[in-house]
Amino acid sequence: MKRDTLLLFLRKELSDLRSNRQVWPAYMLLPLVAILLPLLLLALLPVLLQQAQTGQDAAVSMLVETVARDSTLRGTTLEERLARLLMRDLTLFYLLMPIVLSASAAALALVREKEQRTLEPILATPIRDRDLLLAKLVAAVIPALLITWAAFVAGSLMTMAASWWTVDVIILPTSGNLVALLLLAPAMSVVAALLALRVSARFTDVPGAMQFTGLVVVPLTLILVALLGRPAMMWPLAGLSGAILLGGLAFGLFRMNLRRFAREEILTNWK
Amino acid sequence: MIEARNLSRNFNGLTAVGDLSFSVPEGKLCAILGPNGAGKTTTIRMLLGLLPMSSGTARVAGIELPAEDRAGAELRSRVGLLTETPGFYDRISGRANLELFGRLYGLDEATIRARSEQWLRRLELWDARDRPFATWSKGMKQRLALIRAVLHEPPVIFLDEPTSGLDPAVARDVRSLIAGFRAEGRTILLCTHNLQEAEQLADLIGVMRRRMLVFGPRAELTAGEPRLTLTLEGDGTALVAPLGALPGVRSSMVVESSRGERSDPAASTTLRLTVDDLDRDTPGVVREAVRLGAAIRAVAPERTSLEEIYLRAVGEAEA
Repeated sequence: MKRDTLLLFLRKELSDLRSNRQVWPAYMLLPLVAILLPLLLLALLPVLLQQAQTGQDAAVSMLVETVARDSTLRGTTLEERLARLLMRDLTLFYLLMPIVLSASAAALALVREKEQRTLEPILATPIRDRDLLLAKLVAAVIPALLITWAAFVAGSLMTMAASWWTVDVIILPTSGNLVALLLLAPAMSVVAALLALRVSARFTDVPGAMQFTGLVVVPLTLILVALLGRPAMMWPLAGLSGAILLGGLAFGLFRMNLRRFAREEILTNWK
Repeated sequence: MIEARNLSRNFNGLTAVGDLSFSVPEGKLCAILGPNGAGKTTTIRMLLGLLPMSSGTARVAGIELPAEDRAGAELRSRVGLLTETPGFYDRISGRANLELFGRLYGLDEATIRARSEQWLRRLELWDARDRPFATWSKGMKQRLALIRAVLHEPPVIFLDEPTSGLDPAVARDVRSLIAGFRAEGRTILLCTHNLQEAEQLADLIGVMRRRMLVFGPRAELTAGEPRLTLTLEGDGTALVAPLGALPGVRSSMVVESSRGERSDPAASTTLRLTVDDLDRDTPGVVREAVRLGAAIRAVAPERTSLEEIYLRAVGEAEA
């Protein structure tokens, strides 16, 4: 694989992304929610505790009891343990973000080529199928991951400040958080992008590809978040194992996409 | 430089191209004519290695087809392609589009910059170079697509309907560019519906409808039976026999006559003579007609038109 080709497509996709206002809301809204949500929950913590103590809300009472029994949570006070639980589980949102962003970008990647009829001129260059597919994948995943990691850094700093203010303790990201963000998120992002690439190859218009990706690919990948994300937050080794598992899945999906990425199909069936 | 040997391509049991053979020598421009669905685009795609052939072989720019992955990439680096639609990215500028495709063709940045500037200036696109491609006119887009086809200086160029949908002025510019590419010694395969374009540009002409119906040098195909039409004032039927007896004249006939008096300005006779060689025999025919007292209104040499050849070939294939 030529590194030049990867960088070339990455630059082109980024430039395209910058000028495509349709995708701006997703790229701005998700990081914003990821940063503000922990602050909101920390601000609401005293209210939650009060509700638990008075027994006003059964669900909140149950949550507090669970927190009290959870041996994986550190903390001297119930408030601190509750804050740590919220922070730990909120990292799941940071796993969701790269999935949604990379799947959207990947779904657009091929459909937009079809719309602009750029695929035949590209296929007429000496580029190889594997290089083109890999370039599309990298161009979809890298921006999504960079945004996610930037949001995570910003969100963590805000959380540290807010936790100091609400529970007198600086809550730092756990090793589980870091494993999830640095290993699980890229692997999930790649899987989501490969699924979206495969699915979007069947569509000829952007709305159709986006809707199908939103309705099928993202929910499918969210199941992976549910299955692997939470254990990864609690036990870093589980996160590592999950990332390896997803890496294998991504490799298989890439091979499958490559087999299906036939020039003949593209030129004769893609209108 | 381009050689197709019994190329065939089937799609789901339907033959798009069948047993197609032709050859284009280096530096020649070959126009392939044919109705919609004749298999012209499929032929180009097969010759570029984009579509596998169902059977047959080919040799393009020194590469044998069917080709393996690496040889296929090498072939594509030696061939330029102009697709029917320009196929550029709307949101980035014309120059950025050229840079991207130049890199995909393996050119370094300095070369791309120099060649892009040279071509953009030559085709009067330089002022628009940094505007998003979406804002360009259709003619500008097509000219940019032509630049892309030659940016990597390929010895072979495939042009698929290069003037389709362009206004006459832009189409003329594009044709003169194509003539320029041929003058530079490139081998060109031009697929077109435009008979005038083919007649104007091509060294070789092929008419296809799934298979090659007619193929040969343009001059030979359009030479056909050389004919001469003489329009004379008044009744000129008496000239049929003496003109028909001249050396080099194979036949002579009246095709239209108003049979009026010579003094009647509207009366005229049209004679058609079949001759051996238009350039050699026309002066003798005119001299003899004048000697016999004919007042000649017009002399028109007639060659078999490409349109006749095309319609006859396609008509026969359909029948």
